[in-house]
Amino acid sequence: MTDIADNNKPASQPIETEKNDAETIPVAKQTAQTLTKRILELLFLLMFISTLLFFLLRLTGDPAAVLAGETGDQEQLELIRKQYGLDKPLIVQYGVFLYKLVQLDFGSSLANAQDALGLVFERLPTSFTLVIIAFTANLIISIPLGAWLGSRPDRTGRKLAATAVFVAQGIPGYITGLLLIQLFSVELGWLPSIGNQGILSWIMPATTLAAFQAPQVVRVISANVAEAMREDYIRTARANGAGFNTLLWRHALKNAMLGATALIGAQVSFLVGGSIITEVIFAWPGLGRLLVTSVQTLDFPVVQAAVFMIAIFVYFAITLTDIVFLFIDPRLRRQRA
Amino acid sequence: MTTATATDKPAPAFRFNKIGTGSLQLDLGLLLFAIVVIALLAQWVVLDESALDGNLRTRLKPMGYISPDGVRHIFGTDQLGRDLLFRVLGGLPWSLGISGVAVVCVAVIGTFIGLIGAWYTGVVRTIVLLGIAAMIAMPFLVLALVVVAVVGRGFWPLSLTMGFIAWTAVSRVIYAESRGLLTREYVLAARLFGVSKWSILIFHVLPGLRPTILVMAAFFFAVLLIIESALSFLGLGAPLNAPSWGNMLSDSRQYLTIAPWMMFAPAGAIVLAVISLNLIGDGFAELSRKRARAVEV
Repeated sequence: MTDIADNNKPASQPIETEKNDAETIPVAKQTAQTLTKRILELLFLLMFISTLLFFLLRLTGDPAAVLAGETGDQEQLELIRKQYGLDKPLIVQYGVFLYKLVQLDFGSSLANAQDALGLVFERLPTSFTLVIIAFTANLIISIPLGAWLGSRPDRTGRKLAATAVFVAQGIPGYITGLLLIQLFSVELGWLPSIGNQGILSWIMPATTLAAFQAPQVVRVISANVAEAMREDYIRTARANGAGFNTLLWRHALKNAMLGATALIGAQVSFLVGGSIITEVIFAWPGLGRLLVTSVQTLDFPVVQAAVFMIAIFVYFAITLTDIVFLFIDPRLRRQRA
Repeated sequence: MTTATATDKPAPAFRFNKIGTGSLQLDLGLLLFAIVVIALLAQWVVLDESALDGNLRTRLKPMGYISPDGVRHIFGTDQLGRDLLFRVLGGLPWSLGISGVAVVCVAVIGTFIGLIGAWYTGVVRTIVLLGIAAMIAMPFLVLALVVVAVVGRGFWPLSLTMGFIAWTAVSRVIYAESRGLLTREYVLAARLFGVSKWSILIFHVLPGLRPTILVMAAFFFAVLLIIESALSFLGLGAPLNAPSWGNMLSDSRQYLTIAPWMMFAPAGAIVLAVISLNLIGDGFAELSRKRARAVEV
């Protein structure tokens, strides 16, 4: 019964593979296609976000009042209107707004008059490092665990472990973070709970961030491995006398990882979202915390700059994974019917 | 055999809902059971209805504390002396309500846009697909954060914002499936009979999408619940005094060193709800796979 179901998978039919190899598109061409597509999407997204921000700020009433804050008097309001060109017609304002965005001119922070983009760039490296560490830690833990779970999913030990993963998937990162602080900072006093104070203070934020997404990655990898282990080429390899470990780590896992391409792209966006909460919990001096504080104080120039940079960063990461996998996985280069 | 049934999409072969569940009914039962048990416990534990108001004399008391009036606080009390178990129950309509409204919006908007993209060709489809691909990459929390900051706190602003942002993933799946369904013979027959576009989409395609929509709605319910709590946790979600679970967690963070038990009740509620919803999603997926297999054989 399962055999019949397995043979139905169109992606794994060997006859088709041969036929399709003839229609393989050159990598360079496909890279160019991917790049164009992604850049178009990014432009669309930036356009959407900027329009959204522009009209949101105006929908809420007088943007000058928002920009001036609660303390602004009439004179200040007039000044701000002049300064930001808010006395002109809406369509002109929008044009000016877009023109400035194209030049990446977001204006200066309302809180301390620093250049908004400069503020964002100042915070970017810490956030970037945190995300990279969490991402790497996640892969180091999730891939072997997923492979182990997926290789023999029916055994009791694996079933218990899989239950634990399922439960872990239901625990949001902010709860993990609070529990970690409670355990390692308050009770044991081993790790500092706030700020960036050297290598020890990296452990908990990175763990929290990795815990946000690790269960999901584990589940996908193990599902892919379980599926790959039932494929024909594994049976062939086994018939040729390959040992179980070779089968799992060399043949099945490789295939399962490549199948998880789409997931990795989505994970970047997920990680960036998760890093915002993580940074707030651990008072981490990164981009996410800057975004939250500037959102709370309605510091719009900084919000815009931060959102723009996040969008560009995510797109950069996604495009990079796209292209890397294009080179690694020949199946992606096949012409689609 | 390989015709694209609504449930033929690559679902993870490894499903993990065999811990005594395995079917939708049991999964649903699990959720209801959890809610009912909590509610019953509350009835049984709290003798005094004014416990929700709080009492500053009994503030920050640990789990299981019994006040001088003989009220037992099974999860302890918060910084204003309010019983945490009662507060978590009071937060049920907030947390589940906000994400519930949002998930309805997500399902409706996502399905609508997915169907539009699948039906039309040319420019409309290109724009729909481009929009979905662009929006899906943007961290959802970032957009929600910015929009909520402007439109303000509260039940409706929060739930509608989330609903209007999170539909992209749903519409991508719906798009892919409806394209498959639109190639079926019965759709072709309906078209040849001159049935109108909307009739075909609503009466012929939509029913085929039902299993997918149910599965996605269950998973999105969990995701939106997490996002709602996250926004409240960041101080940009439910109104400050509302007993939303995220708000309670946010409160507990300030008293982490002196009253660590404050996080247990809201954290437990969130985890329980998310796990129940994930189980329900898995249950739906499993059921529809079984049904599809039964049809094929």
